[in-house]
Amino acid sequence: MTDKTGNTSKVVEQEAINFAMAKSIADGDIVNFHFLFLPYSPLREDSTEDIYSIKYSYLLPTQEEEQSPTFKSALDLVLREDIREHINEQLHKKGPIQLLSELLLALADNAVRQEKFTSASQAYELLRIRRRMQELFFEQGERELIQGNISTAVRAYRIASSLEYDYGAFPEPLPAVPRYHEHALILHAEYKTHQIECIGNLALEDFLKTAFHYLFLLPEHASKITDKPIEIQTQFLIELIQQIDPNWGQFVQHVHETIPLMQELYQELKLRMERIASGNLWEDEWDEGLDTEKFLTISELLLGRKLNNPEWWAYLKELAYEHPPSILFISRQLIGKEQEIIIPRYNMANPIVQQLNLPPLPADM
Amino acid sequence: MDDETYINYFSILGLEENCKTGDVRKNYKKMMKDLILNIHSTEVTPDQLDQYLLAMAKLNAAFYILRDEVRRNAYVEHRKKVIQLEKQWCEVGENDPNSPEGDQLRREFDRVLRDFLTKYMEELVLEAGRDKECVETSNWDPYHERHASRVLRHYRQKQYSQIHERLPYYDVTKPTIDWGEREQAVKQILHAEKV
Repeated sequence: MTDKTGNTSKVVEQEAINFAMAKSIADGDIVNFHFLFLPYSPLREDSTEDIYSIKYSYLLPTQEEEQSPTFKSALDLVLREDIREHINEQLHKKGPIQLLSELLLALADNAVRQEKFTSASQAYELLRIRRRMQELFFEQGERELIQGNISTAVRAYRIASSLEYDYGAFPEPLPAVPRYHEHALILHAEYKTHQIECIGNLALEDFLKTAFHYLFLLPEHASKITDKPIEIQTQFLIELIQQIDPNWGQFVQHVHETIPLMQELYQELKLRMERIASGNLWEDEWDEGLDTEKFLTISELLLGRKLNNPEWWAYLKELAYEHPPSILFISRQLIGKEQEIIIPRYNMANPIVQQLNLPPLPADM
Repeated sequence: MDDETYINYFSILGLEENCKTGDVRKNYKKMMKDLILNIHSTEVTPDQLDQYLLAMAKLNAAFYILRDEVRRNAYVEHRKKVIQLEKQWCEVGENDPNSPEGDQLRREFDRVLRDFLTKYMEELVLEAGRDKECVETSNWDPYHERHASRVLRHYRQKQYSQIHERLPYYDVTKPTIDWGEREQAVKQILHAEKV
C-alpha cells in the first residue's frame, strides 16, 4: 500500500498476528505475549518494527512447533472470532491495553506445564487467581500423598511453592524465586561445634526438617510436609531432590571422583594428629608442608570445574546453583590454618543417602 | 468491601473510634504485656517470629498514632478518604473501567492507597518503634527495627495485593473462572507428561 508521498505503509498479515499470539501462549511466555501488544510491537501497523525481519523470528513458530498439539490448541483459541476481534482492536488502540483473560489463562496453564513458574505466577496474579491456584495445587498434592502417589504429590507441592509471590520485592511484588546459593551459605556459615556436625550427619528427623526448609521457598510450605510421618517425608525428599535436580547423577559421579583424594587427605590429617599426640609436631604447625594445592582439587572435582576464586564459599555457591540438593551432603573442611575446601560428608546410615546412590566415603577423622 | 484491609488501629487495640486517650494507653499496655508473655511461653519458629514482630509493631503503631490527637485525626481522615475512593472507583470501574473518568479515579485511588499504606503500614510503624514509651513497654530495639523493615514491606505489599484483587479489572478483561474446571485443569497438569 502506497500513500500520496510515495511511502509504503506497513501491512501485517492476520496469519502472522495469529501465529505470534498462539506461539507466545503455547510457550507460556508472558514477556513475549505482553510485548506483542506494546506500542513498538512488530504486530502493530503503526510501528516501524517488522515481524518478518530476522530479529523477530523468535516470535513466530517453527514448522515443527506448528504441529504441536499445544500450539494448535492455542491457535484455535486465537482464531475464535470474538478473541481475534479483541486482539485486533487492542493492536490498533492508542493508550493502555487490556489483555484477554482467556488467553492469559491458557498461557498460565501452559507455563505451569513447562515449569516456567515465574511466567505462570505473573499470569495468574494478573488474573487475580494466583493464591487460589496455589491452594489448589497444595490440596491436590495432599490428596496424591494420601493415595501414595509420591511423584505426583511432589510435583504438586513443587508447583504450588513455585507459584509464590515475593511481596517484599521493590518497587512492585514479583514472582518469588529460589535463592539456593544464598541459603546454602547460611546453612554452612557455622556448625555447632565441629564440622562433623554438618547437615549430612544430622539425625534423620533434623536432616529432613533442614532439607525441606532449604528446598522449599517458604517455611510455611515446608511445614506442610514436616508434620507427616518420617517414612513419608523420607520418600518425599528423595523424589523432591530428583525432581529439583534432574542431573543428580552427575553430582553422584563427581562425589565418586573425589574419593581417592579424600582418602589421601584423611590419612595425612590422621598422621598429623598422631604426631601432635606423641609430641612430635606442634599443634600450631599442624598444616606445615601440607599440599593444599592438591587438596583444593577436591572442591573442583565436586563442582566439575575450576573457579578463579579458590575460596570454599565460591565453590559452595556455584554448587548450590548447579545441584541445589547437593548442599545437604557436603561440608567445609580445613586444609590449612586459613584454607578451607568443600568435601562430601554424610551418614551412610541415612536411608536418603543410600537411595540417592551416594557412594560410601572414607572414614571421617 | 472489607474495611479492615485498610489497617484499623482502633480495632487492633479493641477500641471504638470515639475512644479516650486513657483507654488507648490502658489497652496498649495490657495487650503488649499479653503478647510478650505469649512469646516467652512458647518455642518460636522462624515464621512465627515474623508474625510476632508484626503484631508487636502494629500495637506500637496503634498506640503511637491514636494517643496523639493530630496524628490520630490525620489517620482517620486518610483512611476515610481511601475507603471512599475505592467505593467510587468500584462503582465507575464495574461499568467502564477504561473510560477517562474511570482511569482518573483509578489513578487517584492508587496514589492515595499507596500513600496510606506507606505511611500507616511502614513509616509511622517504624517511627513508633523509636518512641520512648513504646520502647519501654515493648523492649523494641534496633534489631527489631532491622527485621521489621523487611516484614512490614512484605505485609504492606500483600495488603495492597489483597485490595487489588477485589477491584474492577482494567488491564485484563474480567475472567469467568469456573473453579470446577480449574480443579480438573490442576489434575490434568499433574498427571500429564512433563512438556
